Amino acid sequence: MGAPETALAQNPVDQIRRAIAQWMAEHLTGEFAALRHRGGPGDEGADPALRKRWEREMAAGGWTCVGWPEAYGGRGLSIDAQVAFHEEYARAGGPGRMGHIGEGLIGPTLIRYGSDAQKARFLPGIVEGRTFWAQGYSEPNAGSDLANVQTRCWQCDDGSWRLSGQKIWTSLAHESDWIFVLARSEPGSKGRHGLSFLLLPLDQPGVTIRPIRQISGEAEFNEVFFDEAVAEADGLVGEPGKGWEVAMGLLEIERGVSTLGQQMHFAHELGLVVEVARRNGADRDPAFRARLARAWGGLRVMRYNALRMLSGGDDLKLGREALIYKYHWSNWHRDLGKLAMDALGPEADTPSEDPAVRRLQQVFFFSRADTIYAGSNEIQLNLIAERGLGLPREPRG
Amino acid sequence: MDFTFESHQIAFRDAIRKFLMVEAAPEMLREIWETTSGRSADLRARLADQGLTALSVPEDFGGIGLGDLDWVLVLQELGYYAIPESLVDTAYLAAGLLSELSGDIEIKREWLPRIASGEARVAIGHPSNPFVADAGTANLLLMWHNDAVHAVRPDAVKLTAQPSIDNSRRLSQVEWKPEASTRIADARIGAPLWQRLLLRGGLATAAQQVGLAQRMLDLGVDYAAQRKQFGKIIGTFQGVKHPLADVAVAIEFAEPVVHRAAYCIGRGHARAGHAVAQARMQASEAAHKAARASIQAHGAMGYTWEADLQMFMKRAWVLDAGWGDLAHHKARIAEDIFDDQAALGPSNTFSTHYGEAPAPRVSAVSR
Repeated sequence: MGAPETALAQNPVDQIRRAIAQWMAEHLTGEFAALRHRGGPGDEGADPALRKRWEREMAAGGWTCVGWPEAYGGRGLSIDAQVAFHEEYARAGGPGRMGHIGEGLIGPTLIRYGSDAQKARFLPGIVEGRTFWAQGYSEPNAGSDLANVQTRCWQCDDGSWRLSGQKIWTSLAHESDWIFVLARSEPGSKGRHGLSFLLLPLDQPGVTIRPIRQISGEAEFNEVFFDEAVAEADGLVGEPGKGWEVAMGLLEIERGVSTLGQQMHFAHELGLVVEVARRNGADRDPAFRARLARAWGGLRVMRYNALRMLSGGDDLKLGREALIYKYHWSNWHRDLGKLAMDALGPEADTPSEDPAVRRLQQVFFFSRADTIYAGSNEIQLNLIAERGLGLPREPRG
Repeated sequence: MDFTFESHQIAFRDAIRKFLMVEAAPEMLREIWETTSGRSADLRARLADQGLTALSVPEDFGGIGLGDLDWVLVLQELGYYAIPESLVDTAYLAAGLLSELSGDIEIKREWLPRIASGEARVAIGHPSNPFVADAGTANLLLMWHNDAVHAVRPDAVKLTAQPSIDNSRRLSQVEWKPEASTRIADARIGAPLWQRLLLRGGLATAAQQVGLAQRMLDLGVDYAAQRKQFGKIIGTFQGVKHPLADVAVAIEFAEPVVHRAAYCIGRGHARAGHAVAQARMQASEAAHKAARASIQAHGAMGYTWEADLQMFMKRAWVLDAGWGDLAHHKARIAEDIFDDQAALGPSNTFSTHYGEAPAPRVSAVSR
């Protein structure tokens, strides 16, 4: 269960921990100071232009893509060191990463499935914080049933591709340069067969992006319409018709390493709840204290589970502990949102200028969606039951 | 207590339900949201035509002179349709307080007929709510000041608008000065009046939350019955239908508790406060459960501005904090249970006379 304390002071993980903490203290200042604890789900509207500049600042310091192999511009950090990096980044109030879809999703996917030419072309833009990516998976009729993708793509004589159809719930598409899309390349095919994985630029005549307004009033995700949109011949990742394999590999990555920093943000939010409860006396209510204690316990469970999940090393296959992770954090966070509102009392109902209150209001609203996006509660429980317990699959039409 | 409503009460509820179904479609409510006042004179006039503004006003003052049990069914409907109106504050709470002032006095002669006709809107300022609802469109404000009741004209107050996360509400911070000329009841007379008003505010909250819970459930059921994934209607999956069934159970558990609270207020029972506290807890639980199950059944659509569900979720959420928040109501019940004189045990709990003895203080202000 880890090395003795004395040995830790000198090890590479601790060096990374201190290096990033010091770098954050020096660089999350000046114009970037306004970004502390801003951005991320529920707060993506927070100065995207400045947060893109922050990505370039991070890149200049060598702090983007720290888990990538050095050959692709990363630091090749071990899982332990990545944990330390994400923890210190969040502890310092590091803003929600505009580049996380590139760094956490498409980058690792290209490293695993992309051609040498694709790696050479796309990875540097991600490492340098210049190219921002969106993920085009969900469609109006392909949500939980992702394999029901209907967006069509076909290859032209010159080798380039055309795409027609619609994606939905596309986070930050309006702030992105490129999108990766799962589309049906074999007419008449059904389910996971006959899909292809394509990369294409968003700024082109065949693409229309329409923001979706959320219950909070913000618009963080979009509908993306493709009308014979163009992807270059080199835009295909993997084999034609084998896009599902690429997409699933990516989803495994999504639920693994890229969720590391999240817990520190949760810890920050829990701290805000405690602060608010102290201020207005909710901390004296025994029932509230009990809920707060459970919330703290739930966060510890999350942390230990994540560390256990990642101690398997580079094997990103979904173990049982990985299967429960999304279900656990999303339900925990949804409850935290309610706890925050109960701590605030009537103050919860009117938009506030107080950053702590505003943050908690955002947490409440956005956490209503936590148990829905990235695999709903129902899908997670099916995965746990079917993959984790080996129960028969639910009958499907 | 007999939980059967009288046939005229059911008939009235049904008439109001039919009326609101036609007149208060979600698209119309959204239009009203976008206006500055957030209120529609046209809708108010129609509500008055239905007799809603006259319900609590005594017949001597041009009203119908009905009571809390008549209101409770209507309040559930007002919740179901998330009506953006100051109707409840004016016609139930303010009319109730003014009617319970004794004698044929000027303030009653001036305002009760205007409330009954739908002409006047009355806002209420009480410390259990941090802001005053609908102060901007009020013709009169009833303000709490150390338990005294003050009737303040709109030209004597300074308002600062305060946005709410529920777009259907219009809240204000109210600055005003208590004067001898504005006082309509001193603290001795005012204290029990405010007590009664608080009970009714709590009942109105709980009843609307039950209505809202039913609406959210209906929306979730409708969506689950038409949305297809995996080639099937998602409502066929137990993972989707069971949480919705849980909401139905929660509503059934809340409704009789809310009706009991209305009965206790109407009868001036000593334990009306506890009945209201329990109603608030049960109704809040049902409403939160409904919001959670319905948004989940809607999937990501439920998180959008476009889907109507948000209108009902937000109303249900904001109602929680008014007229004494849940912590207050829970504490009230806990105090009662741990009281040395607490009437617990089977002989009390299942007595037909449970809580029936009217308290002298409350009966002093009954009509």
